[in-house]
Amino acid sequence: MISNPKQLAHAPITEVADLIKKKETSPVEVVDLILSRISELDSTINAYIHVFEDESRAAAKAAEAEIASGSYRGPLHGIPISIKDIYESGPTTCGSSSLVGYVAAEDCQSVANLKRAGAIVVGKAGTYEFAYGAPTLETHFPPTRNAWNQEFECGGSSSGTGGSIAAGLAYAGMGSCTGGSIRWPAQCCGHVGLKATYGRVSRRGVYPLSWSLDHTGPLARTVADAGHMLRGCAGYDPLDQASANVPVTDFNAKLGRDIKGMKIGLLRTIYEDNYEPGVKSAFDPAVQVFEKLGAEIVDIPTINLRQLIAIEFPNMWADAAAIHHRNLRTGGGDKYGRHTRGYMLWGLLMDSTAYLNSLRARAQVRDQLLDALTTQVDALLLPTVGFQTPRVLESDPGLGFLGGEFSFYTPIFNFTGLPAVSVPCGFDQDHMPVGLQIAGKPFDEATMLQVAYAYEQATEWHTMHPDI
Amino acid sequence: MESRDIVKAKLAEWGLSPSDADLDELAPAYETMLRWNKIVSDMLDSRPMTPGMEFPTSEPILIHDIARYR
Repeated sequence: MISNPKQLAHAPITEVADLIKKKETSPVEVVDLILSRISELDSTINAYIHVFEDESRAAAKAAEAEIASGSYRGPLHGIPISIKDIYESGPTTCGSSSLVGYVAAEDCQSVANLKRAGAIVVGKAGTYEFAYGAPTLETHFPPTRNAWNQEFECGGSSSGTGGSIAAGLAYAGMGSCTGGSIRWPAQCCGHVGLKATYGRVSRRGVYPLSWSLDHTGPLARTVADAGHMLRGCAGYDPLDQASANVPVTDFNAKLGRDIKGMKIGLLRTIYEDNYEPGVKSAFDPAVQVFEKLGAEIVDIPTINLRQLIAIEFPNMWADAAAIHHRNLRTGGGDKYGRHTRGYMLWGLLMDSTAYLNSLRARAQVRDQLLDALTTQVDALLLPTVGFQTPRVLESDPGLGFLGGEFSFYTPIFNFTGLPAVSVPCGFDQDHMPVGLQIAGKPFDEATMLQVAYAYEQATEWHTMHPDI
Repeated sequence: MESRDIVKAKLAEWGLSPSDADLDELAPAYETMLRWNKIVSDMLDSRPMTPGMEFPTSEPILIHDIARYR
């Protein structure tokens, strides 16, 4: 029951959409609420780089008139959302001072799709520089602070999108994910991050980090909200070479079905010798919840963390270097943050044989997981990441930041292209959120969300939000 | 040749001149990358043919082919 503006600001889309549909609230009221909260809170949270105040008020009035006339487009109609600032839509900086002043000529495909579904874009959300270089207190754009505790960051690289949802400054938003940048901020901010199958959502007009690893997709408060957002942004795009020509269906069609008798594969070899105590104490009991729901837990041996990192990061940095090296030579790169520039130089050191070997290893792991999903299990399960949410960085962390044994588990579903979703599963000893990730078969996001929803509804984590 | 010199030479091929501070970070990062390359090389699938010869049984992933696995 929503009884005050703060509750309304932190409500899931499904509840707000119901109120809008019943005309118990309106897009204008909801947009006014979110804009007033941005005005009040974002000077400390730093979720937004640009706010579309006039445009979103105009869109809200138009949505209100359309709904009043009986043309209700669906659950996103009149809902304020945030968009990571690497998506072309109005002013677009990619979190870099090198692009201050650039204004996109048109909306990128996925944003156009969302607007067509009725969503209202209230602003461009902060991001790691080019979805890559970590923001610090010294960088041009400051880090987004986490509403659960403002000494902590929101994860990255879709930090502003995650931070905007956690702080009640948007109901959902779009992130991008090359190694985990949708699921990690979702974990840090205590909500759901959905990376659909590679090719499900258009990447056109979204500044690339790695052509073969990049995914675009939503962050939202609940599994159902994430499913609605995915339906709003997904769709074949003939102008995106990686776009898959598959139908967009109701991704929430299986929500509410039980998971009794389903088999869920634990990828223990990736995490069990390296996840931190704060993650372990939340994740291990979560596995038992699946068993209580009637699912059978099955061990699926796969690669270890060292192999996962060794496949992902050189691949990503080499692609990023190919994308940015001309900027480094022609002067634009002079404005890049030191951290960003360092990774790009690192990527230039990768040789072609090693690069092709990493692509071979990706195919092997993909085939291994596909085999498990075809013959042994219905879904895969592991923690989202193995480390607790870090504090806001004061200065450049250097290249060692990702160079060591970094317990980052999300990339396995980037370099295999499988769909994966992060769902809250508790809190660590700093009272920061912890998440688990569930992966499924290509283009069967509905079954994956069925499993995620069953867990979500059996726990209370999705009902909690920061007191802000 | 030391890692620092290799890094300098490789970046020069791209028309870039790293500073000493860049090299301080990039030399150990390059060595990390070499370790990763060895890890990946060691995990690649193949089948034996004659002593010392093997047939690679995996190919590089293609970025546009996942729809075939539906």
